[in-house]
Amino acid sequence: MNGYGGQILRVNLSTGKISKEPTPPELARDFLGGRGFGAYFLYREVPKGADPLGPENKLIISSGPLSGLMIPGAGKCDFACKSPLTGGYAGASLGGMFTAEIKYAGLDSIILEGISPKLVYLFIDDDKIELRDAASLWGKGTFAVEKELKEQLGEEFQIACIGPGGENGVAYAHINHDYGRQAGRGGVGTVMGAKKLKAIAIRGTKPIPVADLNAYRQAGMALYDACKKSELLKPWINLGTTMVTSWCDEVGALPTRNFSAGSFEGGKTLYGPYMRQKIVITDKGCFGCPSPCGKYSRMKRYGTNVEGPEYETIGMIGSNLGIPEIEDVAQINLLCDDWGIDTISAGGTIAWAMECYERGIFTKQDTDGLDLRFGNVEAVLELVPRIARREGVGALLAQGVRRAAKQVGRGSEKFAIEVKGMEQSAYATHSATAMLLAYMTADVGAHHNRAWAITYDLQVGRELVNADKVARVIWLQHIRPMFDTLGACRLQWVELNIDLELYPPALEAITGIKRTWKDLELISERIWNLTRMYWVREQPGFGRAWDMPPPRFYTDPPKTGATAGKITSLDDVNKLLDLYYEQRGWDSNGLPKPETLERLGLTQLVAQ
Amino acid sequence: MTARIHALGILKAYLGGKSETVVDAGNTVRETLRALNIPSEVVALVVVNEVPQSKEYCVQDGDVIKLLAVVGGGDE
Repeated sequence: MNGYGGQILRVNLSTGKISKEPTPPELARDFLGGRGFGAYFLYREVPKGADPLGPENKLIISSGPLSGLMIPGAGKCDFACKSPLTGGYAGASLGGMFTAEIKYAGLDSIILEGISPKLVYLFIDDDKIELRDAASLWGKGTFAVEKELKEQLGEEFQIACIGPGGENGVAYAHINHDYGRQAGRGGVGTVMGAKKLKAIAIRGTKPIPVADLNAYRQAGMALYDACKKSELLKPWINLGTTMVTSWCDEVGALPTRNFSAGSFEGGKTLYGPYMRQKIVITDKGCFGCPSPCGKYSRMKRYGTNVEGPEYETIGMIGSNLGIPEIEDVAQINLLCDDWGIDTISAGGTIAWAMECYERGIFTKQDTDGLDLRFGNVEAVLELVPRIARREGVGALLAQGVRRAAKQVGRGSEKFAIEVKGMEQSAYATHSATAMLLAYMTADVGAHHNRAWAITYDLQVGRELVNADKVARVIWLQHIRPMFDTLGACRLQWVELNIDLELYPPALEAITGIKRTWKDLELISERIWNLTRMYWVREQPGFGRAWDMPPPRFYTDPPKTGATAGKITSLDDVNKLLDLYYEQRGWDSNGLPKPETLERLGLTQLVAQ
Repeated sequence: MTARIHALGILKAYLGGKSETVVDAGNTVRETLRALNIPSEVVALVVVNEVPQSKEYCVQDGDVIKLLAVVGGGDE
């Protein structure tokens, strides 16, 4: 099948059985790859009510039809499972080099099933596939594990591994790769740890079949040419995602002290140009990337290096914890990466704990003696390993903010900043109704990668609630995740503003199947409704209440910054949802209507 | 004494579809944006002679200033 590795690899960790089956052409036709394959296998194969940490859950890793080919940023793969953090759908996207090796090994998806009786890592070298002993790796940080496996196996092997956070069941443990890239959200690393799988080492040497070699070369070069000619290329490479830090601060979108505000008085020493000058050594990119956004940093004060921090970490570990200095944020970033926990969820949960402390809900007795005031860097440096080891107050925080707040009570649920159990990522949405809706309706919980609409909010009116705004969010929710389905980075389109219409010819040349963006949007809509139905199936009583934003965004206007005094009313929150459900073809409780499922060809699948 | 402004992507719309215009030197970038009727909050990044600057930067004679918006996808 052109554009595909051709096979699905199944690894039953309980029995040790390793098998392959051909990738079904109708799966490729209807779900394309990457995130589409992940959602499909999750719905179809993980039984209703499965324990996320039990043997019935599966971790599904999928590349896409663009992965590993001559396409800008063709380095994305999808990790899907039932989320230990939310109990719903988890889909995390990993950059770097991993996805290319999946394709070169002749694979499209790797489905990890069961639980190993021993500590293992998965070794894949083309058709040589084994579960190998990982007892000597268990307990080690992600950097040591990757280094050790590369030294043992060879530099050309790509490694994805968990840290102690995943081993110990932190609900938001991530999977680390290429030292500084992560499949970050939803606890995909937690599931890997529950399966007693420490790492995956993969190398492939097979060619990828392509339908029309000349057209593929032309279309790929057209994409690279567009990137090269973009006026945005140089500033993007210079700052990467940190280019938005100062702007977010200015417009009230920078999460500050547990999202109590959107501007931070200490912000200047977090901004991109300051970071570039203070700690950045070089730029780092993913497979085939012409616009490397990764920043490799040296923290002289600590004598350490890290890839990062990205904007999300700067927002969630910096301003959201009241920490103003980028070098400290970078050091905490390093700890999270090495111990194996998601910086966004860690930042959201620690910020909640800090607010509990400042409000007197926690005393030092509750915090292992740590002074958890906002801005206390030393306390956070102590706390990250405790979370990863689930020790003391770390055990409370390792559950994620929703469970921690439920356990503590005393009104702390009101400032747990999460949707569907996932901590909100780094855009404050006190007064930005499209972005608020994006967070409310993202299919993994409060994550921004599905739809990002803050500039649009500023252009048309922050507080505006109308059908056009909702339509914009839905369009973004179809286009942006399509890149996770295709297995390539969306940032060349998003940040360099290259023409979306350059992608379909490349996809056609590779797969031999002509598809327009309308066709691709339909596939995205199908996947979106499938993941919605997964929540409906797995969470009793799932519906509108699960799409509600944190109360802070309709009760608690900031006192400072660009959004001082501004808040979205609860009436407007409900109006947004009414319009959204209507446009999605869902009922008033947010459940997909039968005719919508029928139109998308999902009726049979969701009836299972 | 003048400087050149390049408006990238969606910001061209604020210059009537043009990507470039000439402005007086001596004002801050923020003041210049106001004079051009470009809402300051839509401009995410200001790059002067290939170096990022804040909106309080004072425009000098001969400067080439690029204005960038962060769109998140889509150029409408």
